[in-house]
Amino acid sequence: MRATLMTAMIRTGAKQCCPYAACSSSRSVAYYSKSAIDTNSNYDLVVIGGGSGGLACSKEAADQGARVAVLDWVAPTPHGQSWGLGGTCVNVGCIPKKLMHQAALVGNHLADAAAYGWQLPKDHHVPHDWNTLKNAVQDTIKASNWVYRVQLNSKKVDYFNALGSFLDSNTIKVTDKKSEKTITAKYVVLSTGLRPTYPNIPGAELGLTSDDLFSLKKSPGRTLVVGGSYVGLECAGFLKGLGLPVDLMIRSIPLRGFDQQCANLITDHMSGEGMNILWRCSPLEVVEAGNDQKKVTWLSDDGKKESQVYDTVLWAIGRQPRLQPLNLQAANVQLNQKNGKVIVDDEERSSNPSVFAIGDIAQGRPELTPVAISTGQLLARRLFAKSSRLMNYDMIPTTVFTPLEYGCVGLSEEAALKKFGEDECEVYHAFYGPYEYTIPHRSSEQCYTKIIALRDDPKTVIGIHFVGPNAGEVTQGFAAAMTCNITIDQLQSTVAIHPTSAEEIIKLRITKRSGLDPRAVGCCG
Amino acid sequence: MVEFKEVEGYDSLKSELKSLEKSDKPVFVLFTGSKDSSGKSWCPDCVTADPVVHASVKEKLSEGVFITCQVGPRDFWKNQSNPFRTDSKLKITAVPTLIHWGQSNRLVEEQLFKRDMVDMLFED
Repeated sequence: MRATLMTAMIRTGAKQCCPYAACSSSRSVAYYSKSAIDTNSNYDLVVIGGGSGGLACSKEAADQGARVAVLDWVAPTPHGQSWGLGGTCVNVGCIPKKLMHQAALVGNHLADAAAYGWQLPKDHHVPHDWNTLKNAVQDTIKASNWVYRVQLNSKKVDYFNALGSFLDSNTIKVTDKKSEKTITAKYVVLSTGLRPTYPNIPGAELGLTSDDLFSLKKSPGRTLVVGGSYVGLECAGFLKGLGLPVDLMIRSIPLRGFDQQCANLITDHMSGEGMNILWRCSPLEVVEAGNDQKKVTWLSDDGKKESQVYDTVLWAIGRQPRLQPLNLQAANVQLNQKNGKVIVDDEERSSNPSVFAIGDIAQGRPELTPVAISTGQLLARRLFAKSSRLMNYDMIPTTVFTPLEYGCVGLSEEAALKKFGEDECEVYHAFYGPYEYTIPHRSSEQCYTKIIALRDDPKTVIGIHFVGPNAGEVTQGFAAAMTCNITIDQLQSTVAIHPTSAEEIIKLRITKRSGLDPRAVGCCG
Repeated sequence: MVEFKEVEGYDSLKSELKSLEKSDKPVFVLFTGSKDSSGKSWCPDCVTADPVVHASVKEKLSEGVFITCQVGPRDFWKNQSNPFRTDSKLKITAVPTLIHWGQSNRLVEEQLFKRDMVDMLFED
């Protein structure tokens, strides 16, 4: 098995090297002869970073017969928080976020229950217990940490709970709490992800980030969330949904890069639900205010200084690489000077032909778990299974799990108009009312959907946006349709599932160009 | 030191776990098919796993309680509403299963044939 693999790799070596103009350089030659001899390589592949991308890549490579090691090391947060194998998504990202979002939605159902005839006790104020939720979430996470370790073990991938740093292109120093050793690898994949950014202001260390939030030992209480990123909006949203007083501070625009009309509907909905949004404010300093509280001072829209005392301050102002400990200079891996990410080509290859980068750490890639997973699997197949298939970074769907969810696939309206021009794009849109909102008289003011299609035949759909309940579930299927290059005619001739919110997408007829009112009309007409 | 205990059936397991509530030692439970009158378990995978698990305990576990729990005869176990399956703290769906009590870590069936996998559970 192993011999076959090695032979195959030597055979395909020339092909793998080809796209590089530097093929004839001395460095490539050195790398080449090393791979051909392959006597002193411990591993075919060493993956640094055991998150979504790294785990997927390592398991796929092992399935293809490669000898693989995964190094995963989590530097604790300034508040001492650390976690197990699996990376951001499972430990401090998608998974705990979605569970806490769900907890908030359950609260909504409780509020709606009486309208549907559930005879709750009179004057029912149903309190929420943070620790019950936090413990359930942490148990779920720990179960996943364990399952990942079992999976790696059963696929014979060596797992090191250790920090990896380069000694040269193919040699990695592995440092754990007790010891240090050296391993070698034919290929190295960097998949170390990103960590939250702290603002450069006095007292920033008194604030927390999403790295700490999901394991807090007591309820965050009165919270200031700083940042208009999806992390900021989601965290503010579910904390408010759990009944906590939350202020959300946004310096410029919400959800940069997303369709701005939809982004503003999301923040309108949050305001409508009673969230205090501090627009165009920037934090200046945080000081201890006694009783474990923090006083935050910020510069407001009109240039005045304002302050407020909070139990918790949560920074959600961005995420950044933490690559210094990897000693990438030793492998001559080039970074983007501006954001510190690893510069990669179409094959995920860095400036060093034997070092690759996948997931959030790779320059220009969407910061999404499923993207990292697919990229990692495809890379492993190219390296060890003679595949030539590249990751397709178009048509990546995603959903923001704000109280009112927002799912999208393809281009935002702004990006579509910029790319194709206003005359070339048709924008279909409508506000709608989810049926389940009717009886409890829940406001559907921000429930909205929009399609952007090209006007020239075959009128291909280039963007779908959906603001409403279950947006993730709604958007996934439409993403499949868009991957198949669905046209607006095909979408409009699709039969509806009634009564749903998703049917609103295929029922879209009103164009922005027509100037007709996109507000909801009757139900079954 | 590792303390070994053997229990038969759900109720005796629960009372054993209750008596260990105050203990800060790690508690592991191996769920296995009960032995018949000839001293042989009805569950062949349990028979295969047993020596692997015990060899690992001997080498990797220095401190703790190791409970072997016989889940009963085959007919009892196969009943989908038996308390081992329905207890929300156990949710045992297969024998053999090895759990670290109070934690999420567990191994089932063929996973318990692999020495390094079992070692991992005791080392964690």
